[in-house]
Amino acid sequence: MIYLSSTLETRIRKGDDKMNQFKNILHFELKYYLKNKVFVGVTVFLILLIAVVMFFPRISAVIQFDKQSDTAQDRPVMLVKLEEEEQEQEQTIQEAFSAAFPGYDVQCTDADTQAIAEQITAGDAECAFVLTSPTSCSYYTQSLSMYDSNTTVAETVLQNLYRMDAMIGSGLPAQTAGEILNTEIHSDVVNLGKDQFQNYFYTYIMIFALYMVMVLYGQMVATNVAAEKSSRAMEVLITSARPTSMMFGKVVASCAAGLLQLIAVFGSAFLFYNINQFYWEDNAIVQSIFNIPGDLLLYMLVFFVLGFFIYAFLYGAIGSTASKVEDINTSVMPLTFFLIIGFVVAIASISSGNVDNTIMTVCSYIPFTSPIAMFARIAMSSTVAWYEIAVSIGILMGSVWGIGLLSAKIYRVGVLMYGTTPKIGSVLKAVWRA
Amino acid sequence: MKLELCDIQKSFGEKQVLQGVSFTAQSGQAFGLLGRNGAGKTTSIRILMDVFPPDSGAVHVDGQPIDYKKMKIGYLPEERGLYPKKLIIDQLVYFALLKGMRQKAAVAAVDYWLERLDMTEYRNRRLDTLSKGNQQKIQLITALAHDPHIVILDEPFSGLDPVNAILLKDVVKEQVAKGKIVLFSSHQMHYIEEFCENIAILRDGRVTLTGSLHDIKRGYVRDRLVVYTEAPGVIRQDFGERCSVLADGGLMIQLEDPGEKQVMMRRLVETYEIDGMQIYEPSLNDIFVQYAGDADQKGGR
Repeated sequence: MIYLSSTLETRIRKGDDKMNQFKNILHFELKYYLKNKVFVGVTVFLILLIAVVMFFPRISAVIQFDKQSDTAQDRPVMLVKLEEEEQEQEQTIQEAFSAAFPGYDVQCTDADTQAIAEQITAGDAECAFVLTSPTSCSYYTQSLSMYDSNTTVAETVLQNLYRMDAMIGSGLPAQTAGEILNTEIHSDVVNLGKDQFQNYFYTYIMIFALYMVMVLYGQMVATNVAAEKSSRAMEVLITSARPTSMMFGKVVASCAAGLLQLIAVFGSAFLFYNINQFYWEDNAIVQSIFNIPGDLLLYMLVFFVLGFFIYAFLYGAIGSTASKVEDINTSVMPLTFFLIIGFVVAIASISSGNVDNTIMTVCSYIPFTSPIAMFARIAMSSTVAWYEIAVSIGILMGSVWGIGLLSAKIYRVGVLMYGTTPKIGSVLKAVWRA
Repeated sequence: MKLELCDIQKSFGEKQVLQGVSFTAQSGQAFGLLGRNGAGKTTSIRILMDVFPPDSGAVHVDGQPIDYKKMKIGYLPEERGLYPKKLIIDQLVYFALLKGMRQKAAVAAVDYWLERLDMTEYRNRRLDTLSKGNQQKIQLITALAHDPHIVILDEPFSGLDPVNAILLKDVVKEQVAKGKIVLFSSHQMHYIEEFCENIAILRDGRVTLTGSLHDIKRGYVRDRLVVYTEAPGVIRQDFGERCSVLADGGLMIQLEDPGEKQVMMRRLVETYEIDGMQIYEPSLNDIFVQYAGDADQKGGR
């Protein structure tokens, strides 16, 4: 009995020691991130960038309000040249175009196309429509921007005018014809699953954030370990702390730092959006981005933490086998490749509109790709069953545990290997023997 | 307290690095662990510190397997280096915490040692702003701050100026006097001779010689005399091949028989102008060359 209690006591004390060591390492490493000027600088920069974007419509609204009163006359000029036979309709056509193009000062002209072209080139007018028949026209402009929809609008105007004419011509009263043309069809969508258009943007952003944070922080862990090794601080560290404590301390610290950065950036974006919500009401995309359901955020947290652990452990293990910080870039390439594959497959699938394709389904169970793939499916697909999510998370958790232990072993062997970076095979052999 | 390494074997892959290493170190004494590069000193130290386990054999303290939770070890590795970009106080406290100290005690201990080693002015500086010798003193603190039972110093004097060397000697003597086990590894034999009562010499993963340095030296056959004289020419002429010149200018005379000692000494004093004379004792350097050098290549170091 006495023996039992004393062994129990030592076991508890052992656990305590490990826990303390882990806490000390975590604290030390986290402080490294929070005191790191680059880390703080990048975070502040991102927050400022988001602030500028989110406050932009408010600021530009204020500026435009000032301008509006005295610039009303400065609207660009749009010229409309009518057919010879339709001169009597000048009034109607000008009214119709003015109504359809509120941003333009619409003027009718009799000048020939040569003169119109010269006027546009000289900058007296921005663009012109030359009507060649009731159902055709030419659009003249100096610069055709990517989003120029003037021709489409003009086509609608002309089409309506033509139909109106035709209906009146066949005996309908003008008012009835107008009503018929203005009739709008209402449609309601009853979506029983998920709205892929609405989900697309925030899913894209979240996947991108997951990917970026994993790559950046994973490489930071690798560099961090290699730096300790090359500065020989490792000689003291390895004799002062358990490799598992060191590995877990480092990885948890970088995970916390990454999470903190994500929360700071996303949190401030959310805050700035709410401050300026009124100015973003017309923008469906921005609105959809800030309409992320709460449970999806929770899933993001789960997949972020688990995925981060898997990659950070492996990055740390790879870092431990490098002797110089410069070797890191080439050593981590295969691992980064896995991450890129997961990212590309997920992005391609959500863009294609079919997130439940075979590759994605397979990827959502492989621990290297599932953090991104499964998350994308949860966000975009309506057919992911709860047990699929549970299995994926279960596999991830098991892998985190296994890869964590394996990495700590590689780490213990790797940190004492100096000289050229060893091959994977020889490291694993050494781990097997240790 | 008695620290024993008992028949430690260790291989890395095909290479058997340690082939049965055993030695015993006592508390209150410094122990010299000698051997050429690659002889297995660092591996022995790492096994002693539980960085990896031995393939067979054990580390005992007072006859019991060592309990690493109770037995604190301080280590100054030969490959020096800490965090170059971090504040000295931050990293020293961190290492003390890792060794199981509480925050307050760690800060107090680190401050004590900074003061003791005359480094207090660098407390809040970055490590890479210090000279190499001063960085080494900082690293020494990581080995001592947590008041370990066993202190392992690997080449502690390399890179230190004479003033710092004296400071370090005082510290080492103080640690020994406090009843700690001090394990010393160095290629500078005069430091070993100065500190260590007991030594072990390793060659190719085996202990080729271990025991009290005094006994080892007395164990050599005392059949050589060293003579100091103003006129070495005559003696060299008279003794021919039996006489050789030592590095310090003394003449070493090989006796035909240790029993001849008294007679020869009297004869030398009576015949020549002698300034001084003693029985030759091998230096640790000679012993090292004999036991640590390649068997077929004596004196190669």
